[in-house]
Amino acid sequence: MNSMAIELLAPRYAIAWYPWAVQYFFLIAISYATLWLAAPALVFGKNTWLPTARLAMLACLTTTLVAPVALLADLHQPLRFWHFYAYATSSSWMSIGSLLLPLYVVGVLLLGWLAWRPALQANRQAPGLMGLIARLLSFGAAPTPRAALVLVGLATLALSTGIMLYTGAELAVVKARPLWNTVWLPPMLVASGFIAAAGLVLVLNRVSGMRDLTSSGQMLKVLLGACVVAGLVAGSWFLDGINANVGSVAAALDSVRASPSWRSTALWGGLTGLALFGAVLYLLTRPASRRPGLYAWAWVLGLVAIHMGWMFRWVVLMDVQHVARNSAGFHHYGIPAGSSGILGIVGTFGLWLAAVLMIDLLIPWRQARQGGSAADVSPSDSNAQPDAKSVEGAPSHG
Amino acid sequence: MDSIRRSLLGQLARLSAGAALIPLASVASAGINSQPPRREGDPTKRYGMVIDLRQCIGCQACTVSCHIENDAPLGKFRTTVSQYEVEHQDTGELATFMLPRLCNHCENPPCIPVCPVEATYQQQDGIVVVDSDRCVGCAYCVNACPYDARFINDKTQTADKCTFCAHRLEAGLLPACVESCVGGARIIGDMRDPESQISRMIAEHRGELMVLQPEKNTLPQVFYLGMDERFITRPLAEPVALEVLDPHGKEMGYEFHGH
Repeated sequence: MNSMAIELLAPRYAIAWYPWAVQYFFLIAISYATLWLAAPALVFGKNTWLPTARLAMLACLTTTLVAPVALLADLHQPLRFWHFYAYATSSSWMSIGSLLLPLYVVGVLLLGWLAWRPALQANRQAPGLMGLIARLLSFGAAPTPRAALVLVGLATLALSTGIMLYTGAELAVVKARPLWNTVWLPPMLVASGFIAAAGLVLVLNRVSGMRDLTSSGQMLKVLLGACVVAGLVAGSWFLDGINANVGSVAAALDSVRASPSWRSTALWGGLTGLALFGAVLYLLTRPASRRPGLYAWAWVLGLVAIHMGWMFRWVVLMDVQHVARNSAGFHHYGIPAGSSGILGIVGTFGLWLAAVLMIDLLIPWRQARQGGSAADVSPSDSNAQPDAKSVEGAPSHG
Repeated sequence: MDSIRRSLLGQLARLSAGAALIPLASVASAGINSQPPRREGDPTKRYGMVIDLRQCIGCQACTVSCHIENDAPLGKFRTTVSQYEVEHQDTGELATFMLPRLCNHCENPPCIPVCPVEATYQQQDGIVVVDSDRCVGCAYCVNACPYDARFINDKTQTADKCTFCAHRLEAGLLPACVESCVGGARIIGDMRDPESQISRMIAEHRGELMVLQPEKNTLPQVFYLGMDERFITRPLAEPVALEVLDPHGKEMGYEFHGH
């Protein structure tokens, strides 16, 4: 039957989830991934990971605080959030997530508090607001038992796997969006979350002035591993569906074939991923003598990694919603300027930046420890004032 | 989409139309993403709709009357009629194809298990409704419906959808779209009553009825008579309304496709 059809009349279908959702998925992924980056030192006692853990804990706590705000904002009736608890529903991944999320937030806050408490206790005599905050938050002078840190850490790590699972499953169960409806989406979200988290720690390492070489090396290794995992997951997803007529890969191929913007997105994503992987591999394979000079630029790769993590979520959550389900062609989407668009995106990042600055101003996060008391916190423990000779041209900070 | 896949889906559309009619039992179970129990409504009934496309002239009376009856916001529709112009490439013959769309009140509705607060639920008579006092407006159901039958109502900021005009059915009236249909193309009724018009039509046309997107396993309960199997999934058609963008990429309006 050779025929050609033209769609004369069809409604325009608006998107249902706004960029707030991208912000939530991005921030919560950084949150759970940085928790795992903080875990080797804070929970499992590996001292070489302590500088990384300090940076990661700062990233983890701030993103954990801001992510639920973005999530709440994506509800059209945010003041009804209590309905999640009044009418919890076992059939819905979102409902399961709404029960996990507050427990996870409390876990992260507790872990951060335990890690920062010895330094807070050491700061009790400090003048001004910093001393006041330290006195208020340190809750006495008793030492922080290491076991408490391990226990809270393990519980929060367990909860974080729940967050990984629910955020992925929430999308993967939606048959109506074939691009989401694949078992490979949840692991890809986790892998790209670790890419972005390692990138953020690299950037924080630079902008905080800590410039810890060991931490940079560790983060580059994590980046490399996460890139490999992401590549394997993407490859498996593709091979898994390449011969199928329907499903996630078929829908992706249809989109790439039919839309120039999807083509350029796929090309950009693929090339950036490969370039990131190549650059990280290059840095890691340089001789030890050249590393300090090269690692000083690792933060640039960190920015690329953050971009990858965020763009992946933008494509998955926003672009997929523009693949028409019942009408021909593609929907055009211009990001609105207001709170359901650019203002929401910028606002979330602004809130996060404010959270980072508040903590940087008031909390001695650079002296986070694996438990202990105020006496254990020595000035040499702090990386707050970098040695002026070892890092030339570093901006004075803190 | 190749023709083999189309005709396979066409077969599936017919099969599931038949299969959905045999046991209309609730498939409730307790697992994640499985159907929660149905509640409210008359358990002795199962509402469904047959749309006789041979009678549809695409006048959009259903669209308008639904809009007025249910006070939907501008630009969002509980029901609407998609219209296509089909050209035979060899003979150049032209035909118009009308496809009324609405909630399919599926036997296995994917929009219901995802709701985090059970604000949307299926009545025992099969009608899928939303409790707008409970709905938090998370829009998960809007994404989960493959038929784009749901939307966020800008006035209530909650999920909105076709209810088969349950409030009218309760009062012994026909849904607005059925009542206003010029050609009598929409037939609603109780499929558990063997004497109802819909039951008789289903019995008469069993082999010809088709449903939309059968491969999603939603078991729709809106059956199309006189359906072209090329339209049971997303239509492979040229979109007519091309967006006209200004130099900044902002949309200025529509332009009709030159043909």
